[in-house]
Amino acid sequence: MANEKTAGEPKVGGRLDAIAPWALAIGALLATIGFVVNFTVAPLVNGATVSEPAVIGGTLVGNKLLLSQKIFYWHMPVAMASFTALVFTAYYSVRFLMTKRYCYDVRAKLATEISLIFVLCTMVTGEMWTRFEWGVWWTWEPRLTTYFILMLMIFGYFILRNAVEDTERRAVYSSVLGILIFIDVPICFMITRLIPSSVHPVIFRTDSGLSPEMLLPLLLSLFGFLLIAFGLYRLRLRTQLMEDSLVRIQDKLED
Amino acid sequence: MMARMKPAMKKPSTWAHYVALLKKDLSQELHTKDMLTSMGLYALLVLVVYGASLAQAGSELDILQMAGGLLWVVILFTSLLGLNRSFSHEKEHGCLEGILLVPMDRSVIFLAKATANLVFLLVVTVVSVPLFFFFFLGQVGAAPSWPLIAVPLLVGCVGIAGVGTMLSTITMNTRGKDVMLAVLFIPLMFPLLWACVSATTAVMCGADAYMETFTTSMALAGGYDVVMILLSWVLYDFVVSA
Repeated sequence: MANEKTAGEPKVGGRLDAIAPWALAIGALLATIGFVVNFTVAPLVNGATVSEPAVIGGTLVGNKLLLSQKIFYWHMPVAMASFTALVFTAYYSVRFLMTKRYCYDVRAKLATEISLIFVLCTMVTGEMWTRFEWGVWWTWEPRLTTYFILMLMIFGYFILRNAVEDTERRAVYSSVLGILIFIDVPICFMITRLIPSSVHPVIFRTDSGLSPEMLLPLLLSLFGFLLIAFGLYRLRLRTQLMEDSLVRIQDKLED
Repeated sequence: MMARMKPAMKKPSTWAHYVALLKKDLSQELHTKDMLTSMGLYALLVLVVYGASLAQAGSELDILQMAGGLLWVVILFTSLLGLNRSFSHEKEHGCLEGILLVPMDRSVIFLAKATANLVFLLVVTVVSVPLFFFFFLGQVGAAPSWPLIAVPLLVGCVGIAGVGTMLSTITMNTRGKDVMLAVLFIPLMFPLLWACVSATTAVMCGADAYMETFTTSMALAGGYDVVMILLSWVLYDFVVSA
């Protein structure tokens, strides 16, 4: 479905692509600074960011200085980056279904790829954190569960893409699934507000309990990872479009 | 259905399309009894497997706490089997192409197919729930509030039929469609399954303040049904036309 309609499509090779490597570099720098500040400036916390002491695995967690909480400054920004990427998946999926233009399908696929990277990072960091903070590798806690099924659905998205031969059909199916997956994002994001007994605290609120020294590395990492996600996405998009045009040229040469 | 397409006739209403499509599925089922026998047998076999797997649990086990979950496992896997087959007739005999040629709103196909799947699922549920009670809750007995399980059963089956119809339309054209449906269906169903198990367990155990858990869970399940079915309905046109 290599259509030649390009008018009105999002531009490639423009300013966004020019700043992509810079975004990646600055993002890496910010994330690194956030990492350093996290260990130098941000204080150790009492019982991490658990809002109230909880008995997990037979021990009372919540009243000792926890070094493992440092992983929070990596865990939360990475999770936010994965959500942001999924927002773009849903957006480009809707755009594809509206216009039936292949360019949007490519973008939806790449956004999902980026979100998959960050989802995996979130799961790995989250697992380490649950192990050291709650003493268990896994617990069916609401946000963990919803995030886990989010990961499974993203796996399903790529399995589905590989299982459909026809290009147009693949694009339609994966767009529809991309929109369905998106339903889980607000659920996962809001679940700590809906079920307050959850072990995950509510971060985005005015009285989140984060001191300025803790907020600084968090925001640095957050913007850093968002920039990294953006940079990766643009670079990946450029590669993909070059590959596509290469295939098109090869097809033409063979004819 | 063909009679409705005579050009001299008035354009049939959407409701007439819906009824015709639903009748087609139900009468086909009445002739072959294909879905109901396979789904019913499968449900029975899952119960037999439970018999073996719970045989060594001993008398200490509080079966009532697990009963809601076990019941939903039967329903979920049985529905998966039924959904996998729901489009096989359409595909084999080129029936779907015929339906798509009819000038009508294509989301009606979704509603008709989802209703047919819901009817099959409800019939199997109505048979397998008493069997489950007979096999596993004969001695223990459920709390007096147990008839309320009809509500989560109905809401859950509606959600399963709605989302499942959508997903089985997607997977009928994919490689390894049986596995594909499970891969997409089970994660997407998870919130509904969770809510329904919670509501079912609450009314079957009848502990203190069970009504509160029940209403919260049912509100969650109902909200899930509304959002997912509306979304599937809107997106179905794209899927079935692709």
